[in-house]
Amino acid sequence: MRSLLLLVKISWRNLWRNPRGTALTALALGLGLALLLISLGLLDGGHEQTIADGVRFGPGHVVIEEKGYQDSNSDDLLLPALLVSRVEAFLRTPEMKKIVRGVSPRLLATGLLSSSANSAGVRITGVLAQDEPAVSLIPERIVEGTYLSSDKPSGVVIGSDLAHKLEVKIGSRVVLMTQALRPPGNGTKPGSGDEMQSTLLRVSGIFRTGLQAVDANIIQLPLPAAQTLLGVPDGQVTQVAILLQHEGDSAMVARALRKQLTGEPVEVLTWRESIPMLAQILGLDHAFNYIMNGVVLAMVGLGILNTILMRVLERRYEFGVCKALGLKPRQLAVMVVGESLALTAISLALGLALGLSVEHYFATSGLDLRWIFKAGLPPALVFDPILYSRLSSNRIVWSVGIVFVMATFISFYPALKAARTELPDALKVL
Amino acid sequence: MAAEWVVELKDVMKTYRTGPIEVPALRGVSLQIAAGEFAATAGPSGSGKTTLLNIIGGLDRADTGEVWVAGQNLQQLSSGELALLRLQRIGFVFQTYNLLPVLTALENAEFTLLLQGMPARKRRERVAKLFAEIGLAGLEDRRPAELSGGQQQRVAVARAMVTEPTLILADEPTANLDSATAIALLDVMEHLNQTTGTTFIFSTHDPQVMERAHRLIRLRDGRIASDETRDRQAARAAVRGDAG
Repeated sequence: MRSLLLLVKISWRNLWRNPRGTALTALALGLGLALLLISLGLLDGGHEQTIADGVRFGPGHVVIEEKGYQDSNSDDLLLPALLVSRVEAFLRTPEMKKIVRGVSPRLLATGLLSSSANSAGVRITGVLAQDEPAVSLIPERIVEGTYLSSDKPSGVVIGSDLAHKLEVKIGSRVVLMTQALRPPGNGTKPGSGDEMQSTLLRVSGIFRTGLQAVDANIIQLPLPAAQTLLGVPDGQVTQVAILLQHEGDSAMVARALRKQLTGEPVEVLTWRESIPMLAQILGLDHAFNYIMNGVVLAMVGLGILNTILMRVLERRYEFGVCKALGLKPRQLAVMVVGESLALTAISLALGLALGLSVEHYFATSGLDLRWIFKAGLPPALVFDPILYSRLSSNRIVWSVGIVFVMATFISFYPALKAARTELPDALKVL
Repeated sequence: MAAEWVVELKDVMKTYRTGPIEVPALRGVSLQIAAGEFAATAGPSGSGKTTLLNIIGGLDRADTGEVWVAGQNLQQLSSGELALLRLQRIGFVFQTYNLLPVLTALENAEFTLLLQGMPARKRRERVAKLFAEIGLAGLEDRRPAELSGGQQQRVAVARAMVTEPTLILADEPTANLDSATAIALLDVMEHLNQTTGTTFIFSTHDPQVMERAHRLIRLRDGRIASDETRDRQAARAAVRGDAG
């Protein structure tokens, strides 16, 4: 124990024989850690934001649809009203209420929206005006007029790009034309699905999300109006979109719903299953980021290896003296590893201070990337141009751990070199 | 091995090889050193002085022959056993002092005691006594860079002596010192030899230092050219003086 304390003392003092070199090496490793923390924070924050926006422009964190809808996208596959009521009742139970932020039944179809000036293909979304704002972002992005309400049964909200194309304003009349749906086995007369239906609507609100795919295609109208137009009986809907307080609960809520709906011909999907492309893009982004971080860490690691190895080679004579005096190879190795660990500890402190400070700034003020997207966001991209960093304590522990393990691992080679100091060669005076 | 020999070498040979080139350093050296001797090995560069000390100190191994130190056959010891022997029975003083620059004079001197696991109070007492004896009192907290060459070499002697070893090996300990400091260092070493009975073997090519040795072993081309005690040296000098 006494000799270990001596070795620790020597290691620590050796570290400060060349303070500038030590400071530079510590800074390099510290910067590596800081970079890792900042990039992981922005990555996680960006992903969290992308998921949050993605699910709110799409089907929520969890969605319930008729079996087969996800693969076929057939608008004829509808959920019975009774099942929707069961789901809503279950999600209103005290334990689920804490987790669930909003539930919105939707009827989806395609149609043609025409004004006196033009017409365009649209994605019809029939929603309940009182439920949709808790799930969708569209009500929050109204830039002109107002969102749907129960006192405007023939109101419709459309995107700004669509409004521009149709040359309509708030209060303008538009005609929505579509084919009546043909839900299987609901007793609807065969062939009724082929009938063209139309209704006159009045533009009550115009939204702008910045996403061309949404702003040019999506329209929202009251669910009863949509059901009437599409000939859907008994309050049937295409999906029930559920938004949760935390994305991390998606799988758990989906499991609970599957259990609740056992035996029903429905599919309960998390956003990873209902928007697989978003999940894949995020996965790819993660992988790319890990590779980039790996490269940065490897470069920093090589720098550290070089520094420690140089320190060891410079002190070959000294190690020879220690060995001649009776220090065992293992003790020499401990001395070098101890020096490296002390250097790593300083570097980690520096890296944490720097990394967490910058991360905190990005977490509160955000990283504004609007200057990159001056010409507008790519149409298929769900992306908020102001990135807010989110760094969990797990990520911090993981990052510190990986840098610590890397630095320790790197010190083994110089330690081995020191341990293998050959006598009497090391004692030769040059 | 006879019990009274601290060091006994029997027909020791050592050749260094660098690629195809072979350089014989010792060519059949046999030697006995008794406990308490104050002996010097002398000879020109390349005569084998350092190799001889390295082999006696267990820092290097002989190719053939037997090397006995403090009752142990070094040829049969493992590296770990050799390290332990060096730590407990042999003290080293090197030409370039070789103190650890990050430790103070006191810490350098107690380095080997710490490795032996001796308690702090006992360590400090022993070092303080030795420092006072060899004129280092008051310099305990100085780092090597803050000491003169002579002071550093005294600390090195203290480090070698502090474990109360059987044998101290000093490879050209005065080579980097001016003559006055060299004499002062030899005084210290001789004093310790006389008072503690520790065996000293040092190498030198300085005639002034050779004169101080009680026994002088001259090496030439890896062989012992002469091996004389101080009395015989004195007698021979007297004869030369008469003849002159």
